[in-house]
Amino acid sequence: MSQRLDPGAGARCLLMGNEAIARGALEAGVSVAAGYPGTPSSEIIENLARVAGERNLYVEWSVNEKVAMEVAAAASYAGLRSMCVMKQNGVNVGSDFLLHLALAGTRGGMIIVPCDDPGALSSINEGEARQFARLLEIPLLEPGDFQEAKDMTRWAFELSEEIRNLVMVRSVTRLSHASGTVVLGELPEPRKEARFTHTGFILDPMTGAVISAPVGYKHQQQQEKLEKATALFEVSPFNRYVGPDKPELLLITSSACYLYSVEAIRVLGVEDRVGLLKLGTTWPLPPKLVEKHLSRTDQVLIVEEVISFLEENVKVVAAERAHAIGAKTFFGKRDKTVPSTGEMNPDHVIAALAKILKIRYETAPEEYRKRGQTISFFGAPSRDLTFCPGCPHRASFWSIHNVLEMDGREGFVCGDIGCYTMALTPTGFSTLKTVHAMGSGTGLASGFGKLGQFGMDQPVLSVCGDSTFFHAAMPALVNAVHHGSRINVVVLDNGGTAMTGFQPHPGLSVDATGKQAPPISIEAICRAIGAHVENADPFDLRDTQKKLFRLLERADGVNVLVLRQVCSLSPEKKWKKLFEVSVREEVCLGETCGCNRMCTRIFRCPGLVWDAQKKKARIDEVICTGCGVCASVCPSGAIEKKEAA
Amino acid sequence: MKVFGPNELLNDVQKGGLCVGCGACVDLCPYFRNYRGKTSMLFPCTLAQGRCYASCPKAEVDLDELAARHWGGSYSGEPLGNYREILAARAGEKMGKGRFQGGGTVSALVTFALKRKQIDAAVLTDRKGLEPVPRLVTRPRDVAACGSSKFIAAPTLAVMNMAVREGHRRLAVVGTPCQMTAVAQMRLNPLARDDFLDPVAMAVGLFCNWALDHRALAAFLEKRLDPSRIRAMDIPPPPANVMILETADGKLEFPLDDIRPLIPQTCFICPDMTSEWSDLSVGMFEGRTGWNTLIVRTERGGALVEEARARGFLETESMPAPYTDSLAKAALQKKQRALRTATTREVLNVNQDGKRSALRVRPEVVDSILSAQ
Amino acid sequence: MGPAKLSSDPYNLIITGVGGQGNVLASRLVGTLLADHGYCVTIGETFGATQRGGSVMSHVRVSSETTCSPLIPKGKAHMVVALEPTEALRVLMDYGNPACQALSNTRPIYSVGVICGDQNYPSSEDLEKWMGEMTARHWLIHATQEALQMGSPIYGNIILIGALAATGVLPLARQAFERVLSRTLSPDKVEANLTAYDKGYSMIACF
Repeated sequence: MSQRLDPGAGARCLLMGNEAIARGALEAGVSVAAGYPGTPSSEIIENLARVAGERNLYVEWSVNEKVAMEVAAAASYAGLRSMCVMKQNGVNVGSDFLLHLALAGTRGGMIIVPCDDPGALSSINEGEARQFARLLEIPLLEPGDFQEAKDMTRWAFELSEEIRNLVMVRSVTRLSHASGTVVLGELPEPRKEARFTHTGFILDPMTGAVISAPVGYKHQQQQEKLEKATALFEVSPFNRYVGPDKPELLLITSSACYLYSVEAIRVLGVEDRVGLLKLGTTWPLPPKLVEKHLSRTDQVLIVEEVISFLEENVKVVAAERAHAIGAKTFFGKRDKTVPSTGEMNPDHVIAALAKILKIRYETAPEEYRKRGQTISFFGAPSRDLTFCPGCPHRASFWSIHNVLEMDGREGFVCGDIGCYTMALTPTGFSTLKTVHAMGSGTGLASGFGKLGQFGMDQPVLSVCGDSTFFHAAMPALVNAVHHGSRINVVVLDNGGTAMTGFQPHPGLSVDATGKQAPPISIEAICRAIGAHVENADPFDLRDTQKKLFRLLERADGVNVLVLRQVCSLSPEKKWKKLFEVSVREEVCLGETCGCNRMCTRIFRCPGLVWDAQKKKARIDEVICTGCGVCASVCPSGAIEKKEAA
Repeated sequence: MKVFGPNELLNDVQKGGLCVGCGACVDLCPYFRNYRGKTSMLFPCTLAQGRCYASCPKAEVDLDELAARHWGGSYSGEPLGNYREILAARAGEKMGKGRFQGGGTVSALVTFALKRKQIDAAVLTDRKGLEPVPRLVTRPRDVAACGSSKFIAAPTLAVMNMAVREGHRRLAVVGTPCQMTAVAQMRLNPLARDDFLDPVAMAVGLFCNWALDHRALAAFLEKRLDPSRIRAMDIPPPPANVMILETADGKLEFPLDDIRPLIPQTCFICPDMTSEWSDLSVGMFEGRTGWNTLIVRTERGGALVEEARARGFLETESMPAPYTDSLAKAALQKKQRALRTATTREVLNVNQDGKRSALRVRPEVVDSILSAQ
Repeated sequence: MGPAKLSSDPYNLIITGVGGQGNVLASRLVGTLLADHGYCVTIGETFGATQRGGSVMSHVRVSSETTCSPLIPKGKAHMVVALEPTEALRVLMDYGNPACQALSNTRPIYSVGVICGDQNYPSSEDLEKWMGEMTARHWLIHATQEALQMGSPIYGNIILIGALAATGVLPLARQAFERVLSRTLSPDKVEANLTAYDKGYSMIACF
């Protein structure tokens, strides 16, 4: 589907932020795009992958973000325009490379597009990428709406070529995954030529070697590039002021917070009291521009997400220019006028404005709100996150949890990043006891497994998904084997990068554009590293538990158990039931001694429903995907599975 | 019998150090499981009353109630319990000679009962290396393989529970005194269920002074040999003071002083040496190798012995009085030890609100036991 | 000549349901239809983790003038369309107001808490009553029931779109809908979806 190509320049489309970014890159003539799946960024690569053939692009789901950056950098060195895409964590993963990339400089325009997740709607942290721009000394752009998502992305490539360095374009969930009206631009002819020129003078950035040394010299150059960018930012159309000449309050904002701020001002009707400075170029801040607007008034509110990055940088300018513009009263995160954690929204901005401008504001009549809370308490039971019906992880953690309980030595599992992270909660029987970053589960386990000399005798396990295995777990596994750490690594292979939308990874036989690719065997790698490897089907509870017991009893060495079963949401699995599952009511023990609702109370698959009237379990045929695992869980044999037609 | 639920069982017994791993609570449901000798609760169960608690031989065992329900009397504290006669016994010629560690009486009785279809299956305990393996045996020829002595607490009753769930209704169960106590409680239908049918056609108890904790023994032995090479184990009667292991590489002896620390503490609150709550009890006949002591307690037990004897599966002789006297003396000593330990541990006749007792015996009976010679 | 005047500008529509029900699909169809009309449409969604059985919302803002915040301010929803009835109540608590309207499917999706007996799911009588209390006008329709008769629960979303069209709060005409569908679906799929639309439309007529 090439919705982004059919309508020509000038067409108005409803585009998702990520689609707009992808379109912007296409309009800039991008040739190479690489990334690693991460919410809320994944659709950018997916959209580019879809048109890779038509537009002569190379699009790659790299094994991890660091490699994605390296792949994009190679294209830039060869004179092509390139981009790398990731969620906020990806910048952390590749920051060492970025440090050297930014110091050495780029050739073809190269941009990095981190999509942050303020409020951690799909993450287990709300760290953000903006600080890295400052740390890496590269320019930072933040689109404030969907049109800018496209236009800024396109311009970012030009900026990159102007200064010969990487440019960061930072998006957030409420832009990336939101949609708005975008007017499309022209698509250029696709580039076809790549050549890495390296025969020139070694220090010539365009024809010599690509190096960050001599560091002092290169660092000086890097800062000059930044100054060049700053000069361009002073006159950029992405920085806009709307409001009275001398407002009561200056509101400075960027990114999606711009839209919230506009909304807040409109809702309170304070267009004549508040001046809105929307910044799209947020590092380095153009000091003359900022000074000009700071001069308008004494009170300044800064609205951003998540940390007080913009606020602190504005304050630096204010301090430096205080002798010219006077002292200012600042409101923002540091004084908690707006919350210092969590995502921003129009209501936080409304509350801040109402407080500063001393306005009484009610979202809805108090009685209505109170009644709504009471009704919602009884009428809207909260929804815990749960593994999908038919998810192999539910079965895997059932086995792992039960084996560890029976083993009885307080064994534990170090977790990792993926859908299975939810095994911290009852949906995975609260089996995971640590979760950090990609690959950290096995790294931590490698450490735990060496503590025997200090008397630790608890069995140590780690889990990681198939995609996570390739991303980051392999070095940890090497570490564990080489150092003789006594651990058991369970690889949950469900055939794709499931949490983020089922993208492919090197274990599969297709790539981002659907072309055939040689699948790399997880078992072969583990064996080559020197681990003892077995595999099992997690839906076969008995076999899985037998193998787990056996591995726990092995005296030494690293054990790897690959539990392989396709994700319930995978395209090949969806809508196809393995079994027709039903409950024989006369056999169901329900709440009585011998069962006590094991299936609905403990196993908790959404396809199993407790009928409080009949006091029996039943299967919800709309939700059940027919995996049949509950039939093995039921202690009375009341759940029956019949092979589906 | 006061019946509580799985949470009380978990707190009082498994976490309270009273669990002996008999398997009574295992496989009644999906919550309790036993692995390598340790019973654990996989998930919380919210029931206020459970069959698990009711059967447990270390939770609210009321000896008067058992006595009343099983022989219509009250618990008197007699050292050897209630019985009809005590015999010397051994496997008869129909069982083949020289196959058994002791007298082969248990194997003979169970084999005979299976052959005559008086039972449809037998709940026995086999062994693989060091590990006791509970088994449901349905073929007579498979009985003798389970005949060797094990001194390790085994969750045999888990297999009984499984057999009952699978529909077996005429079982023979062979087990230790704690297991016989659990079976006796189970047979009372403690949760008063309408669909209850007593599945135990014959309860055969063994003599036991104490058992060894599986994991503790495994840890002890693993330092000294490869447990998979063990063929047989024996603890000869005093004054021997050793445990003997027959292995594929020869015989090994361990001083009992090294073995005693491996006894689970819960054995010391057990007042029953000769399996008082069974139909038949079988143990060593000290001083007469190749023979067992057989205590006949019930009518149906006696009937089985008579038939087995008549058909050549069992040989019996009278038991000399001096021997029954010394047996009674040993049994009394175990009772006294149990009552003293249970009192110290505050698990005997507990009457505080919110606390439960492991054992209930009428105070005058406690006194008479403790003051007996 | 711009698009027809809206009853409010921006018009704030919230489409809510349980992760996996097709919330995103529904909001994009409605959004595209209205964008075709010439309105500025802004849609705010939540993907990712909340898809695994959690509550999801799409905030659909329709304006003749400007792009809006992808999040509707609290208390400012004009219409709540719910694929699951308790989600309607949850949304109304924060975003509703006495003038708000609601259109909801009746088919419950039990949370894991309800399924395992920790929570109670409200009766349909209570749901209807409370929805009435929180709105100026409301409709409850058996969208999933009808969808299952058509062969798949996913038609429930289309049925609701048809019903929404019938309420008249936004211009969601059949012809325009057909055009949107035809851009991405084969002719027989377009037909099936139009049948669902018609069904939903007719279900409002009988209120």
